[in-house]
Amino acid sequence: MTIVTHILATTLGVQIGGLHGGDAVLAYAFGVGVDADHALKAPFYLRTGGFKKRIGYYWRSSLQEPVAFLWVVPLAVALRTVVPIVFLAVHIAMDYSVRYEKMPFYPYSTWVTRGWLVSIPDGVKEAVLATVLLCLNVLLFLRRS
Amino acid sequence: MPERPPVPQKKLGDRILRAPIRALHLGLGATPRQLTWAAFAVSVPAAALIAGHRLAWGLALMALGQVLDGLDGGVAREFGLSSAEGRDLDTRLDRAAETLVFLAFALAGIVSWMLVLLALAAIYLLTTVSDRSGFDPGCKRVVLYLGLLVPYRWVFIAIFAVNLAGYVAGLLIMDCRFQVRMDALGGDLDTVASRAARLERAETPAGRA
Repeated sequence: MTIVTHILATTLGVQIGGLHGGDAVLAYAFGVGVDADHALKAPFYLRTGGFKKRIGYYWRSSLQEPVAFLWVVPLAVALRTVVPIVFLAVHIAMDYSVRYEKMPFYPYSTWVTRGWLVSIPDGVKEAVLATVLLCLNVLLFLRRS
Repeated sequence: MPERPPVPQKKLGDRILRAPIRALHLGLGATPRQLTWAAFAVSVPAAALIAGHRLAWGLALMALGQVLDGLDGGVAREFGLSSAEGRDLDTRLDRAAETLVFLAFALAGIVSWMLVLLALAAIYLLTTVSDRSGFDPGCKRVVLYLGLLVPYRWVFIAIFAVNLAGYVAGLLIMDCRFQVRMDALGGDLDTVASRAARLERAETPAGRA
């Protein structure tokens, strides 16, 4: 999913959960910030094909795969909050609705999956979800103000 | 031409400790395996002493265990006795010794059980990837001596944080290596992950079986 949809989903979660301060920071860090791992892949992208646009490049890393729960859960226990777990789960669930290849348990397993709802075009899923999230965010915001 | 097994690199410590390393093996006939077990055996009374609130004695014994733990690798490298099984045993017994010593700190009430379990969890996680990633910050038992200077709560928080961060770094290192493999494969980007994964499976002993 695109970063905009992740921001909308995280903002909705923050509004629903009434999160403030450190919890809100954690929500955005694990709901949106995990996408920062794409920056790690940027040198590889540039090295293999320069600035030429290549759709389908493997931008993912284990930071935003289910295997990340192995370190996020202990971190959440240490911080005494479920926020990282919940928002990372939402992020992953959204990404797994897009049909590109993913390796959920790498490096422990080389199993590759395309996730769920693969028969529905990615553009349709993204557009519907982004619209619903935007409407819910606006509704919640208006109700509170 | 048959492939030669890699010769383990001698460490600086091996050169410094060359005399005791040679004496242990040539004089006493000690094998790396025996030294590995001896290092673990020393950790048991060390943990008992720490649990019994005799921290200084416990740490002193733990230090002896760590010296023995360093010598086993030295003997293996000096006399060409290194093996995958030996390294595996060393890692397992190191983790077992850490577990005993860390739990002793909780038993003694020096730090909370939660903190000890979190630190151990982070160390175990790091151990699952450190061999393959080649990254291990080495922040484990050795940091416990800092507890003589700063509160043990902070020492255990540091162990947890460093090892968890090391684990994440290890995962990312392996991700980057896999990316290199995918980039080298090229072809259809929509299937490159599954093709690279198949290749990796074929290269591992389990995948070939």
